[in-house]
Amino acid sequence: MNAISLKINNEGYDVLVKPHWSLAYVIREKIGLTGTKAGCEMGTCGSCTLLLDGKPIFSCLRMAIDAQGSDIRTIEGLEEENNGELHPLQEAFIQDHGMQCGFCTPGMILAAKHLLENNPDPTGQEVREAIGGHLCRCGTYVRIVKAIMNAAETMRNAQATQ
Amino acid sequence: MEYYSPTELDHAYTLLDKYGDGAVPIAGSTFFMSRREELFDEADAVIDIKKLGLNYIRLNDDGLHIGATTTFNEIFDHKLTRGGRYAILSDTAGELNTNEVRNMATIGGVVCVAGEVDMPTSLLACDANIVIGSSRGTRAMSMSEFHVGYLNNALEEGEMVLEVHVPQPPANTGAGFAKFQRTAADLPLVNVATRVSLDGAGACSEARVVAGAATLSGVPERSAAAEAVLLGGTIDDALIESAAAASNDIECVNDFRVSAEVRQLWVRCGVEDTLKQAAARARQGGEA
Repeated sequence: MNAISLKINNEGYDVLVKPHWSLAYVIREKIGLTGTKAGCEMGTCGSCTLLLDGKPIFSCLRMAIDAQGSDIRTIEGLEEENNGELHPLQEAFIQDHGMQCGFCTPGMILAAKHLLENNPDPTGQEVREAIGGHLCRCGTYVRIVKAIMNAAETMRNAQATQ
Repeated sequence: MEYYSPTELDHAYTLLDKYGDGAVPIAGSTFFMSRREELFDEADAVIDIKKLGLNYIRLNDDGLHIGATTTFNEIFDHKLTRGGRYAILSDTAGELNTNEVRNMATIGGVVCVAGEVDMPTSLLACDANIVIGSSRGTRAMSMSEFHVGYLNNALEEGEMVLEVHVPQPPANTGAGFAKFQRTAADLPLVNVATRVSLDGAGACSEARVVAGAATLSGVPERSAAAEAVLLGGTIDDALIESAAAASNDIECVNDFRVSAEVRQLWVRCGVEDTLKQAAARARQGGEA
């Protein structure tokens, strides 16, 4: 076992890991942050997506030991970033019912967050491309895209009034 | 199993020598982690190579140099590959449609995997070289020699890929890439890359027609017949159609995903489409 430190949502966690343990497994089973979902565990479904140094990655395909020194953001960190309130993306997913079972939602929201940070006014096509690696087995894609577009608008308006 | 994260190449080479076949260099880790149950049981040491300074895209007099740990998104969105004479590399990287994987997967990893991937097909069309390092020194090997079979590359014990070198193409050269897949996030069922160079009179002076991901040999292959059709000719729709028809000298695999006949038809379509794009780019001087 190797002793490592991970920085997740601005908090430090010391854990013992085996080198082949995935970041998704360690975050869920050893650290207890279960907002990140583990679906296919082979890089196909997108539900384990989190932000590593600001970029979305599949945490099932990253070794936890290999994420030391990186800034990791999970769905749990969104409220803190937004002064304790739900993030506009979370609000929009609730408002527009961008989910049924909710299993894909954390990954969808983090992928969308990265998109909107880099492209505040995306087209529907750009939204679809950003969530292209995410499966929603309930088939809620149309509502997900709508939620992300509406969140983008909310965020643009908030920016404009600041 | 041990984990190492060396910051000096010499240290990485020492570890590769120490563990031999049991050493697995890791960068993006997408391929290995998706098969961790089989692969990590056989590995004695995992060597993270991301801190060795192999993350770069540089333009020298002899062409483009891409470090082994450069990610697909870095290739996709770089001023040296977005447009211009190396645009096919950005085109190909962008065809890996999952943003999250493009943030992880690296060019060194993708050339080593030698499976159903896109980049080696384009690299073969660009006459690329693979730069290999070990404690015995560095050597370069052409893309055509580097893949020796399905999931099998020419690396010897103690060696690792340092860089992919894409030689500067001749003037008035254009290239194109096409991919066929079942869904946007699927592995390619077949992919095609072509590249043509035009001489002063507008005739084709150099041609590369490559299909990959599902050839019978398991590695990307050039179509000698299609290239022969193009050489010396004026690239118009009729010549492109003849070249596409001749590309069936590349044999494709027949498996549960799609039949060899359909794959071969797709190669033909891909050759036609990419040659049109390649010729248009070549006519614009290769700088489009």
